[in-house]
Amino acid sequence: MNRSIRTLYLALAAGFAVLVLMLGYWQVIAAGDLDERADNPYHLAKQRLVDRGRIISADKVILAESIAYREKGTKYYRRYYPQGSLAAQVVGYATPAQGATGLEQHYNRYLAGSYGTGAILDRLRQETKDGADIRLTLDTRVQKTAEALLAGRRGAVVAIQPATGEVLALASSPGFDLNQVASDFASIRTQEGAPLLNRGTGGLYPPGSTFKVVTATAALDSGTWSPGSTFDDKGVYVVDGKSIYNSGKTKYGLHNLTDALTFSINTTFAQIGDQLGGVKLGRVMNRFGFARPTEIDLPRGEVAVSGRYRAGKILPNDQRDEDSARIAIGQENLQVTPLQMAMVAGAVANGGRMMRPYLVRRAITRDGVVVKQQHPEEIDSVASAYVASEVGRMMQNVVSEGTGTRSGLAGLSGAGKTGTAETGDPNRNQAWFIGYAPAGNPEVAVAVVIEDTSGTGGTEAAPIAGEVMRTVLSIDPVQGEPRG
Amino acid sequence: MSLRARELGFLVPALLLGMLGLAAGASARADALQAGPWQTALGVVMVFVVMHAVLRLRAPLSDPYLVPIMAALTGIGLAMLYRIDPGLAGDQAIWVTLGGIVFCAVIVFLPDHRVLERYRYVIGLTAVLLLVATMVFGTEVNGARLWITIGGGQRVQLGELAKVLMVIFLAGYLREKREVLAIPTQRRLGLNLPAPRHLAPIIVFWGAALAAVVVLNDFGTALLFFGVFLAMLYLATGRALYVGLGVGLFGAGSLFIWAAVPRIGARVTSWLHPFDDVQGSGYQMVQSLYALADGGVVGPGFGRALLVTEDGTPRIPALETDFIFSAVSNDLGYMGAIGIMLLYVLLMARGFAIATAARDGFSKLLAGGLTAVVGLQAFIIIGGVVRLVPLTGVTLPFMSYGGSSVVVNFGIAAILLVMSNRSRQGLVEAVHGVRAT
Repeated sequence: MNRSIRTLYLALAAGFAVLVLMLGYWQVIAAGDLDERADNPYHLAKQRLVDRGRIISADKVILAESIAYREKGTKYYRRYYPQGSLAAQVVGYATPAQGATGLEQHYNRYLAGSYGTGAILDRLRQETKDGADIRLTLDTRVQKTAEALLAGRRGAVVAIQPATGEVLALASSPGFDLNQVASDFASIRTQEGAPLLNRGTGGLYPPGSTFKVVTATAALDSGTWSPGSTFDDKGVYVVDGKSIYNSGKTKYGLHNLTDALTFSINTTFAQIGDQLGGVKLGRVMNRFGFARPTEIDLPRGEVAVSGRYRAGKILPNDQRDEDSARIAIGQENLQVTPLQMAMVAGAVANGGRMMRPYLVRRAITRDGVVVKQQHPEEIDSVASAYVASEVGRMMQNVVSEGTGTRSGLAGLSGAGKTGTAETGDPNRNQAWFIGYAPAGNPEVAVAVVIEDTSGTGGTEAAPIAGEVMRTVLSIDPVQGEPRG
Repeated sequence: MSLRARELGFLVPALLLGMLGLAAGASARADALQAGPWQTALGVVMVFVVMHAVLRLRAPLSDPYLVPIMAALTGIGLAMLYRIDPGLAGDQAIWVTLGGIVFCAVIVFLPDHRVLERYRYVIGLTAVLLLVATMVFGTEVNGARLWITIGGGQRVQLGELAKVLMVIFLAGYLREKREVLAIPTQRRLGLNLPAPRHLAPIIVFWGAALAAVVVLNDFGTALLFFGVFLAMLYLATGRALYVGLGVGLFGAGSLFIWAAVPRIGARVTSWLHPFDDVQGSGYQMVQSLYALADGGVVGPGFGRALLVTEDGTPRIPALETDFIFSAVSNDLGYMGAIGIMLLYVLLMARGFAIATAARDGFSKLLAGGLTAVVGLQAFIIIGGVVRLVPLTGVTLPFMSYGGSSVVVNFGIAAILLVMSNRSRQGLVEAVHGVRAT
């Protein structure tokens, strides 16, 4: 009988060998796929075990941090936002239930500590790394000013540093309290005015006359016109049998290109656009980054593409058979984001060189090791330094004697351009202002948009832009971290 | 070195393993270094020390490895239960104490297991009665009718006891019939078969096992009973034909039931395709697979996996019983799980070694049968967890939470050690020229 006993033993032992192989399949081979399945509760539960890094502004204010708590013997972390609603759409939230948005999503790898090549080794060793802090370019003093000025209205303010692309403020109104996301997300989501939308990067508005900065650049770039080129305004410009009038049907008579920008003369810019044609104007738009996703360190879904839309789809800029006269004055289904227009102003301010905008300067571990460092990066040269300085000079005229005097930037040798996109309802204008200051050595470029106002860009948006820029210029660069 | 000294030498590290596991689980829970529930640990250590002492006195020549293996499995099981819910570990410690008492009682009051052979039919009848009682008076838990409720709301799994009684009966019955079963007297369908009247028990067992699937709604118990029966039939006759025939019959019967009984058909479907209904029928299986995947190669350690949600409920239903192996695999990883499986293989190696060393047919069959019961039961439930076989509700011997299972498995170990002691005693007496009594 002993032979049968041995055979039985070997058979059962062989059975266990099969179990070992099968278990190895689940624990080693299939483990990665199983871990990544959306319905795997471990994935969500693990998020709460991570001591996520902090989000800290340029002026060293903590915008997000993790707070440890203990429950049934396990140490968990929950996210806390000490500044509440400040820069809510930019900071974003990160909860197991609602997912993550904004910087919390875009920099999750760093915040959750899964950056670097060591991540796979850490997984093998079952170690968790504490998250790294991210240090922003955003300054809460500028951000607070912008949000205070927007309070009670719908709109956005974007302030960037022209020479580097650093974003100093990115405000969107209405906002929401980030700490409320975990407890009462439903009431935020259903609130009027879509507070979750980051209007600065994701809001699309007709640019109105602010687009004339792009047209003016194209005009000078073509060599056909100079700031002194003269035009004779008859109060109307007819293209394809349809008339284009000036705001308030004003007739300006004999004037030059600088006057045309200063007083935002539609007929002159329509004429320039008409004569340039779709291809030439479109090429300059290409260089300014229209019809292309804006490269900023935020989730793709939160950044809209600026350009011409038809049936919800973006069109290429440089098409031959299009109404370049109306594009030139910011019509023809042009839809742009405040960020894009701030970049337009920034490029003019920076001698024609457009810098990539960014919100995070560096990611740094608790031990002070810098694991990511962002350096200023040029995206494109939109025009020659000469053309840019000439456009800038014309924009200075706008704030000193034109539509943008209410910005109060004349004293700071600022430059700008107003815009008022009319919707047909006189109480629902979209008021714009883009500009920079000071002209000699620009430190800040700004775009402001105010929705649904009875005022104009000059009365509504320009004062806000001026105040934001004055705040930036009042900050002693030595006090904060040196920019760039 | 004497056998018992060797036993003690292995028992100490085996018990330390469990105590370390408990302390590690407690430390993970508190996130600070803790000794854990030392009273519970000390109690279980005392149980094993007493078992060791009783063996020294009453069965000094018995196998020295079996008790340390039991201690390791019991200790790690206790640590896993503690990390799932400290209350479970407290209960289990009581069951282990009860198991220790049964163990000692068997060693003391059953010096010669061969008396069992004399009562084989009584024992066999008792086994059948226990099963019938379960079928008739049983309480259904999780859809399976395996428990009898006794006073105080306690539930007893009579099937666990019936399992042992059946092995004793089969050992006696097959010792008696092994010759007639081993010698073919007729040829049918190209197979050499014994006379139909000798084949009848196989057919009866086959029918009973399938009936159990339907009535008890428990594939695992049926598989276990039938598997042990085939294993013992093979041990008795040495003919693989019976095993092949039995497996074929059981497979055919199972296929028929699968097709005919929708409830069981659904269960097989959720075994084959658990991800088709993650929130429904596949839930338990899928959660268990996620736990295995989360454990990875080495696992985070005792008490450090996310097996239990924040409100204290386990992620996997029946984690402390059917899925205790998933908990081990998650906390201790692939390496730890392989270690546990090796302990079961080692346990079988010792059990079958005892069977080989036994000096008469009944003892060999009894030792082989009891070892096969434990080994097969571990195989069936681990196989269910890794999706090799359909998931069933049998316990993982020595590790799963549950009094009936613990007590019965301690009893099995005691019977094996009695046999081991006897065969070596006989050997010693033979060498020394003393006539065996």
